Amino acid sequence: MAMASLERAAPVPKAPAAPGFEKIQRFWDPRHGHWAAKILPGEFYVTRSPEAISTVLGSCIAACIRDPGSGVGGMNHFMLPEDNSLGSDAWSRPDGTPSTRYGSYAMESLINAALKLGARRERLELKLFGGGRILPSMSDIGARNIAFARGFAKIEGLPIAAEDMGDVTPRHVIYFPQTGRVLLKRLRAVETTAIADTEVRYRQTIATQTPNDDVELFD
Amino acid sequence: MAATILAVDDSASMRQMVGFTLRRAGYEVVEAEDGVEALEFAREHSVDLVLTDVNMPRMDGITLVRELRALGTYKFVPMLVLTTEAGPEKKLQGKQAGATGWLVKPFNPDKLLATIAKVL
Repeated sequence: MAMASLERAAPVPKAPAAPGFEKIQRFWDPRHGHWAAKILPGEFYVTRSPEAISTVLGSCIAACIRDPGSGVGGMNHFMLPEDNSLGSDAWSRPDGTPSTRYGSYAMESLINAALKLGARRERLELKLFGGGRILPSMSDIGARNIAFARGFAKIEGLPIAAEDMGDVTPRHVIYFPQTGRVLLKRLRAVETTAIADTEVRYRQTIATQTPNDDVELFD
Repeated sequence: MAATILAVDDSASMRQMVGFTLRRAGYEVVEAEDGVEALEFAREHSVDLVLTDVNMPRMDGITLVRELRALGTYKFVPMLVLTTEAGPEKKLQGKQAGATGWLVKPFNPDKLLATIAKVL
């Protein structure tokens, strides 16, 4: 069915997207009766409207944050780029590595966007999902991503309210920032290949990104 | 004597990574969690360079730069902004507030040190 006819069928109007998030695709979920933003690897989304955020994870992590006080929350979807300089302890070097700097950037981008919508940092609640070892042939990328996410939460003093990470299955996560509710479905192995392909492409994208050289000195 | 840098970021992991990078390069580093804390320190002490994030609780980095420039003692101190914000509008705000330069995260330690050396 075409997107347009689905939108007409939605009994609830789509809330306007927060500034900067207009391009994230949102669809009406008739089964659960809500709008849902669908995020892909490398993307993130924040909202203060009663809508859901949905993503499918293999070895990637989705961090879900919310401020119960303001009803603002969001989700990201990221993995660490390849980094030959370290093992599974992503925080072993206090100056960070290209990996931890990228991961911190992914987390900070999400947190900053939520703060801009009115969330308060000291009230943020964190839920972590993903990091599955979805292909036996790949090195355990999921484990590195999990180690990073736990380390980040600890250093930043963000309490982890819930998590479902690791194991060998991909996951479909639907998060409701207003209530903190999570619908999590572990996917079957038959769906793994397509998810792994998407992640490999994402991983290649972030690996070829040169370290950020965007420096400007003003006159 | 080693130059002293006031590093301001609300993220503890960023403070850790930036602080370690600067100390290893031989700088003295004073850390602050937001603009208010940085400004309180700056009223009492002088430093050689300020490196600040933009999005922080209580007082953002652009306001901090503006407030610091208003202090007589910080009129000519180099102030670098290190932020996730890459948009031209924020950059312009930073420039107008009196920032010396703008660096976008995820930060590259070598580039950060080279930029600091250039403006000191």
